[in-house]
Amino acid sequence: MSRLKKIFLGIGIAVIALQFLQPAHNKSNQVLATDISQTINIPDSVQTILKNVCYDCHSDNTHYPWYSNIQPIGWLMAYHIKQAKNELNFSEFGGYSSRRQLSKLDGIANSIKDDIMPLKSYKIMHKNAQLSTKEKVILINWAEKSGDHIYVK
Amino acid sequence: MMIRKIIFGVAIAVTIVAAYSCNGKKSAENQNKINDTLAVSHNDNAATSSASDAKNTVSIKEIVNAYLQMKNSLTEDNSSGAATAGKKLEAAIKNFDKSALTEAQKETFKDVEVDAREHAEHIGANGDNIAHQREHFELLSIDIYDLVKAFGGGQVLYKDYDPMFNNGKGAFWLSETQEIKNPYMGKAMVNSGTIQEEIK
Repeated sequence: MSRLKKIFLGIGIAVIALQFLQPAHNKSNQVLATDISQTINIPDSVQTILKNVCYDCHSDNTHYPWYSNIQPIGWLMAYHIKQAKNELNFSEFGGYSSRRQLSKLDGIANSIKDDIMPLKSYKIMHKNAQLSTKEKVILINWAEKSGDHIYVK
Repeated sequence: MMIRKIIFGVAIAVTIVAAYSCNGKKSAENQNKINDTLAVSHNDNAATSSASDAKNTVSIKEIVNAYLQMKNSLTEDNSSGAATAGKKLEAAIKNFDKSALTEAQKETFKDVEVDAREHAEHIGANGDNIAHQREHFELLSIDIYDLVKAFGGGQVLYKDYDPMFNNGKGAFWLSETQEIKNPYMGKAMVNSGTIQEEIK
């Protein structure tokens, strides 16, 4: 057996060993009392978009694709989700101060307008995350209107 | 011999991975401990410090100064300057001395703190995207206005209004000068806007 073969074999075994270390799944399987739907009125048209393109990273319930079980992809995903939730977590939205709720709603509208969200890498892997202009308008209008409502309060 | 080598290889891989995951946990624990310690020492400060208004003003002044530096960069379309000020503001908010605050002031600060820090952080991280910086600056201005109203700004400030920003929704900013210099429009329409309020 050549040296090279041994190295490849070693790497192969290490990769297999990695598969036994799965990160914890981001799945609460329930609608928390702090969920955004308990605080703000969300029409069905908006809810569908949020669920399809936002909740995987920005909520406590990720819909995991099959390849998330392959490491280190799963870890990378867990890291992304952690960061995303830190920025905005729809499951904890009701727990934010109204000042922060307003900021987040403005942020939603702006990041859709500026094409910052959904992330490019996410759109490549999720075909239904390619928002049409109409869908964008629905989302932006909803976020802005909800923001105005909070601001008046 | 071969089998030994393989086992050795796997053992090393497992050890490395295990070590990494352990480290993660440990550093999180350490962080918690550090936070606890900070919280405790902070409470001590609150209990023992006499009303040191001067110290407090210095800190709010630092926050206001970082904000004004950001505002001035934006009036010149200088996004990297705004980013530098954003980082400065983030640090100033983080290190703000809360020990001499009244209960009401504490509450205002707590409300503003998280939000303002996030805006400052985003402005700091988007030195290549001035449009995005201005979006955050709009909301940050609300935060800083509320702070200044509750704490005083340490200097005379003007609340200026631009009716056109954000598709005609309008937005305000704070300025240290009576002359209008619009951070939302930048060089394109730097003199547009009106003074809404003088904050002393």
